[in-house]
Amino acid sequence: MPHFVALHNQLHQSIAIDTSKIEAQGALEHMVPVVLSEFLKLVVSYPIVFTKSSDTGQFLAVALLGFAKNENLFWQHQQWQSIYVPLNISRQPFFVGTEAGQTIICLDKESPCITNDINHESLFDKQGKDSAYLQQVKSQLAQLLDGETHTTDFIRTLRELNLIVPLTLDISFADQQEQRVQGLYSIDEDRLAQLNAEQLLQLQKQNYLQPIYTMIASLGHIYALIQKKNERLGYA
Amino acid sequence: MNKPVLSIVVVGGGTAGWITAGRIAAHHRTNANSPIQVTLVESPNIPIIGVGEGTWPTMRSTLMKLGISETDFIRECDASFKQGAKFARWTTGASDDFYYHPLMLPQGFGKTNLVAHWQKNRTQLNNESFSATVCFQEAICEQGLAPKMISTPEFSSVANYAYHLNAGKFSQFLQRHCCEKLGVRHILADVIHVNSNDHGDITSVTTAQAGNIAGDLFVDCTGFSSLLLGQHLQVPFIDHSDVLFIDTALAAQIPYEHENSPIASHTISTAQSAGWIWDIGLRHRRGIGHVYSSRHTNEERAMEELQRYIGPAFNQASVRKIPIHCGHRKIFWKNNCVAVGLSAGFLEPLEASALVLVELSATFIAEQLPARREVMDITAKRFNETFQYRWQRIIDFLKLHYILSKRTDSEFWIDNRDKSTIPPSLQELMELWRYQAPGDLDFSSNNEVFPAASYQYVLYGMGFETDFSNHAHLLMDKEFAHSQFIKTQKAIAHASSNLPGNRELLNKIYEYGLQTI
Repeated sequence: MPHFVALHNQLHQSIAIDTSKIEAQGALEHMVPVVLSEFLKLVVSYPIVFTKSSDTGQFLAVALLGFAKNENLFWQHQQWQSIYVPLNISRQPFFVGTEAGQTIICLDKESPCITNDINHESLFDKQGKDSAYLQQVKSQLAQLLDGETHTTDFIRTLRELNLIVPLTLDISFADQQEQRVQGLYSIDEDRLAQLNAEQLLQLQKQNYLQPIYTMIASLGHIYALIQKKNERLGYA
Repeated sequence: MNKPVLSIVVVGGGTAGWITAGRIAAHHRTNANSPIQVTLVESPNIPIIGVGEGTWPTMRSTLMKLGISETDFIRECDASFKQGAKFARWTTGASDDFYYHPLMLPQGFGKTNLVAHWQKNRTQLNNESFSATVCFQEAICEQGLAPKMISTPEFSSVANYAYHLNAGKFSQFLQRHCCEKLGVRHILADVIHVNSNDHGDITSVTTAQAGNIAGDLFVDCTGFSSLLLGQHLQVPFIDHSDVLFIDTALAAQIPYEHENSPIASHTISTAQSAGWIWDIGLRHRRGIGHVYSSRHTNEERAMEELQRYIGPAFNQASVRKIPIHCGHRKIFWKNNCVAVGLSAGFLEPLEASALVLVELSATFIAEQLPARREVMDITAKRFNETFQYRWQRIIDFLKLHYILSKRTDSEFWIDNRDKSTIPPSLQELMELWRYQAPGDLDFSSNNEVFPAASYQYVLYGMGFETDFSNHAHLLMDKEFAHSQFIKTQKAIAHASSNLPGNRELLNKIYEYGLQTI
C-alpha cells in the first residue's frame, strides 16, 4: 500500500532514491496517463489513446503499454525497453498533493526506490537545499501538473468538436488467441476532415493540430505492440 | 376540409403536453420560419397532476429523439435508475413472498424457452425463482446496484433500465427544452371556449388572456378534464373499473433517513388488503403511495396501511388524495383533435403504463402527422384502432397480476379472481398457457405493449404452472438450457463485482456527468 507523506528537507534528509528501481514501478501497468507536452517524445514508441477513468468516467490521455490488465509489453528482461519513459513513471516515487489549499510534493514512503544508501541520489544537501536530482524531479512534477490542465482543455475541445471516437481493436495473436480490446478512444479522422475553416483555425491557435496528428500517427505503434505480445508468447 | 396541416396546437402543459409538442417539433424540425408550427397553450392556474414518476426503457429513446442530454435530464429531474419492479406479498401475502419483473429478456430468449427447463429442474436450480434463474437483473436490484457505470456512455446500459423521476421537474425541464431548443411556442392562458366549423373540426380555442388561438390539429392534453375530446367533442368515457378495481390513490413524499441511504433501483410494489403500495426512490426522496379500491376498504384503513408501511416518517408527510377513474375514451382521435395522456384515459399505476402510452401516442402523431386535412380521418381511424388495442392489452396485463394471486384475506383479492371480472381475451390466453409458455407468437400485433417475456415473469413469478407433459420433447435441448442458466450465474457474478451502487453512480453523474460516447 502506498503511504504518502509531505516531503520535508529535514525529515527526509538522510534518504536517497535508487533510480534503477523506478521503472520497475510500472512493470504491471497496461496504460499510463500522459500529458500533452510529452506527446512528441511518446510518439517515438507508444500508441497514444484516450480512455475513461473508471472512477469519474472522464477521458484521460494514456500511452498504451499492453492489451490486458497487468500487461506492460515494454517491460522485458527487467528493463523498460524504450528510449523514453512516460513522466508518470519516471517521476516515481514522488507525487503532487495538496495541503491547506497549497500544492505540495509528496513521497511514497513504501516505495522500494527509497534507500538509506547515500551512494544513490540524495534529495537534500547538508544545508537542506534541494539536490540537483530533486530539482529535476520538481520540474517533472511541474510539467505533469501544468500538463494535466492543458490535456484536460485539449480533451474538452475535442469533445466539443465531436472529434473523439471509440477505437475497438480485434486482435488475433500468433497463438490464434483472439482478443477484443475495448474502452479505448482516438481521433475521429473523418470528422476531422470535415471541420470548417473557423474550427481548424481555432485548433491551430490553441496549438492542438500537432497533438491531434501526433495521436493519429501514434496508432501505428499498435502493430509494434502486437509484435511485442507475439514475442512474449514465444512467436518471433 | 382541404388544406395542409401546418399549425399544431397542444392544449395542456403536463408531461403529456410537452412530450407530444416536443416529439412533433423535433420530428418536423420546427423553428421560427418552418412551415409547421407547434404551439402549447397552458393554463397558468391549473396545477399538473404530476404523480407519474415511473417510466419504461422507451423513455431513453424518447429523450434521445428530443435531443436531450441524459446527464442534464438526471440532474434536473432528480431522476434515478429503474430496473423493473419487485412485487412483494402479491401471491400469498407472506412477508417473504416476492417476485421480480425485470426489464431484460430471459437468457437465450428466442433461441429456447427456458420455462419448461426451469419448471422441471427447480430442485437442481436450488429452488431459485424463475426470474433469478433466467435473468441477472434481479440480483443487481437486490444488491442495490446501478444498471451501468460512470464510464458507460449516455443512454447506453450494462443492464436495461428505465427511470424514476420527479414529474413536476420533468415538465419544467421539457418546457425549457421544447421552447429553447425545439422552437415550440408557449402561451400561458386559460381556454374558455372551443370553436368549431360546420364539420365539427375545432378551428380555434378562445383564451382569457391571449384571445383566439387557431390551429389545424389540436392535441388534448388537458388531463382528467378532457376539455376538447371529452367535453367539447363529447367522446364517451369507457369505464373499466369492473376489471380493475383500484379507484383511489393516497400519495406521499418521504425523505431518506440519511443523506447516503441506498436508492432502490427498481419500483417496489407491496400488496395490501385492498390494493397495493408503490415505493419509488428518487435522489432526495421516495415517492410512496397507496392505491386501493374504495369498494373494498375505506380511506381510514387505507391510510393506516400506508402509515404502517412508511413508519415514523409518516407523521411529517402530507398525503394527497387522488381519485382514479379507471378507463379510457371510446376513441382518442376525432375530427382534428387527438387526446394524449390522462385526457385519453388512465388505468391504475401498476406497471407504469401512463407515460409509455404518452410516448407511443406522441411518436404516432409526430411520425404519422397527416400532411393535409383530407387524409386525417384515415390517420385517426388507424390511431384509434392501434390504441384501443393497446389499452386492452394493458388492461389484460394488469389484471393478470390480480388473477394469479392466492390471497384470500379480503374480498378485493377474491373478487379479482371472479371470472366475470376477467376480460375474455385474457381468459383465452390463460387457457393457452395451461399447456404452453407465453411466446412471441401469442402476441403477433405490431402494436404490442408488453412482450411475451413480461407475461412469463409475472405468470411464473406468481407460481403459475404450465403442463408441458404433452410436449416433453421440448425438453430435449437440455444442454443448451443448462448453459443459459450458467450464463445467468456468470452474468450475476460479473455484474456484482463491476457495477457501482445506485446512489454512488447518481452522485458521480451529478459530479462528473456521463460521456456521450
